[in-house]
Amino acid sequence: MRLTVAGTQKDYEDGLTVAKLIEIENVETPAYVTVSVNDEFAASGTFETTVLKDGDIIEFLYFMGGGQ
Amino acid sequence: MASAMAFTNEQLERYSRHIILSEVSIKGQKKLLAAKVLIIGAGGLGAPAALYLAAAGIGTIGVADADAVDLSNLQRQVIHTTQDLGKAKTLSAQETMLAINPEITVKPYQTFVSADNVMSLIDGYDFIIDGTDNFPAKFLINDACVLAQKPFSHAGIIRFKGQLMTYVPGSGPCYRCVFKEPPPPDAVPTCRQAGVIGAMGGVIGSLQAMEAIKYILGKGDLLNGWLLTYDALKMEFRKIKLPVNESCAVCGKRPSITRPLDYEQAVCDLK
Amino acid sequence: MADLAETDEAMTDAAADITDVVCPVTFVKAKVALEELEEGQTLSIRMNDGEPVQNVPRALKEEGHQLLKLSENGDGTYNLLVRKAGV
Repeated sequence: MRLTVAGTQKDYEDGLTVAKLIEIENVETPAYVTVSVNDEFAASGTFETTVLKDGDIIEFLYFMGGGQ
Repeated sequence: MASAMAFTNEQLERYSRHIILSEVSIKGQKKLLAAKVLIIGAGGLGAPAALYLAAAGIGTIGVADADAVDLSNLQRQVIHTTQDLGKAKTLSAQETMLAINPEITVKPYQTFVSADNVMSLIDGYDFIIDGTDNFPAKFLINDACVLAQKPFSHAGIIRFKGQLMTYVPGSGPCYRCVFKEPPPPDAVPTCRQAGVIGAMGGVIGSLQAMEAIKYILGKGDLLNGWLLTYDALKMEFRKIKLPVNESCAVCGKRPSITRPLDYEQAVCDLK
Repeated sequence: MADLAETDEAMTDAAADITDVVCPVTFVKAKVALEELEEGQTLSIRMNDGEPVQNVPRALKEEGHQLLKLSENGDGTYNLLVRKAGV
């Protein structure tokens, strides 16, 4: 299936969960990332159970401190 | 006619590049001069924001920071110079801001922001800029602004990346909608550990000043409901849509947070 | 520009003097004075020869205002009569 992940379209195997995608994409600080699927936040407890489908748009939002 | 023009010739010249803009003109410049903006953190983000807000003629600018200028700051905190080493950041910032624009008022608050003082700190300001570098402070500022219904700009920078979003009361998500609660201390790297390219503060801090100015003028689209991310190495700006979180602990339908909270600081970042 | 009778001074709703500033503040000051007026009202602007008279009338016209008359005062200054357009 085709997914848009962080603005880039790529092909992925069918039946991928959010948790698996986080692994494949080598997401930084995976325990503390916010995920949105099609402009809705995916609750962190649901990463293992949320199955992605063709055409889904996924964004990873990271904590960023900095400033000083 | 002379009485109708409240601006002196010198002011007309100082703000001429603003007044010529149809989105600003005299009406807009008057709004800027009447506005009050608070900057929490006079560091990598707060420094450039403060410079541009002073230059723009924001009439009252508060600067809150507990620290003194140290050598490692000078790589990016462009409001401080080598001669300011050891000086309180608030005073160093105030000096530079008044040198740029003696007409404005700069209010220094040499203090850490905490649950005890944050509500009174933000009181009386029209817009708040979060220039802090740690998550407990960021959540504190977010909650305070939501509770007091004040718009603010949130931002963060690290390595070659930066991001920002704007909270406008009643119009879009707050910071906690997106990031439920602070990560544990040391779970996410800080600039001291990971580094940050100096100009990143300039890019993102200036964008924060821009959000404040647009809000005050009532012009243009703000980043409420959007996270703007900047990856300098890839040379990519992205706008990521942020939905409102109805179950947000502070701004949702049934908020559980009704007063500001102090979280534990990252141990290695305590001064 | 239309040529008006000598009594046009009586028609003027307001007056501005921009001989004490230099470009671009000349334009800014003129713009500010116009902002104070209602649509359709007229403003008489006294300006210096040189850059101001070369730039300000044209700039105001580009903003959509109506230039009614430009007269020389004989002392190195000009008077521009301009009618404020709707914004």
